[in-house]
Amino acid sequence: MQDAGVKAEYAALVRDAAVGNRAAMERLLVRAQETAYRFSLLVCGHPEDAEDVMQESLLKTYQHVKRISDPESFRTWLYTTVKNACLMKRRRHAGEPAAFVSLEDGDGLGGGALAGLADKSLRPDEQVISNWMEERLRNALKTLPPSYRMIVVMREMEGLSTKEVAEVAGCSEANVKTRLHRARLMLRRRLAAA
Amino acid sequence: MSESVTSCRTILTDISAYLDGELEAAACQAIEWHCQTCASCAALVSGLRETVGLCRKAGSTPLPEEVRQRARDSVRELLDRESKKTS
Repeated sequence: MQDAGVKAEYAALVRDAAVGNRAAMERLLVRAQETAYRFSLLVCGHPEDAEDVMQESLLKTYQHVKRISDPESFRTWLYTTVKNACLMKRRRHAGEPAAFVSLEDGDGLGGGALAGLADKSLRPDEQVISNWMEERLRNALKTLPPSYRMIVVMREMEGLSTKEVAEVAGCSEANVKTRLHRARLMLRRRLAAA
Repeated sequence: MSESVTSCRTILTDISAYLDGELEAAACQAIEWHCQTCASCAALVSGLRETVGLCRKAGSTPLPEEVRQRARDSVRELLDRESKKTS
């Protein structure tokens, strides 16, 4: 995920898929699905929503790839689409925590939906995720303000460049660097205390 | 004392750029020299390096097989459906 060549790999798959290569389309869509799931789960914290976001992103990605004009921009398009799907999904829920709705702006210490996840007994999907990610990191991550968590997930876990993160988050590169710096310090404190 | 504090503040400001390899060699060297004599900054650099490493390791860990299988199934179902439409 951290490979700087990931963007180029995506672009190559997009080019092949766009001209009718089914194997390339299949690989591209599976990767996009996994991206949608990871992002939705880590940033927003609801496994059931992550499944829905994954499904919603699938058709959009398929249609987008067939008429894409700039394969290099696919990756930022995908994260922007997934981020927006997450936002729409959560806005449909009654009683949505304000912290999530203000995902892009504000550094409020909402804690977000992930905070509630650890408080409940784990459902099967949550158990799967619990086994997937190291618990102390998951617990530290959920304490970050949502807008910081989004930056950490995209920059550190998904391996996007600062420029790409800025584009998806809709802020300046300087702002991304500032949020990432603060988020790292917060995470370090939480991990040290764990 | 104030010079030491200033140096520690500089470390705190520059540490992310340092970890991301965005600082010039001279600035990196200054941080490394400072950390040789400042235990708290050395611990901070080490702790942040570990934090970043932990995040990156999590990011490169494949999703659970159950999730990946559902993704593959959904994709094949969509492609089969779209293929029938065009044939």
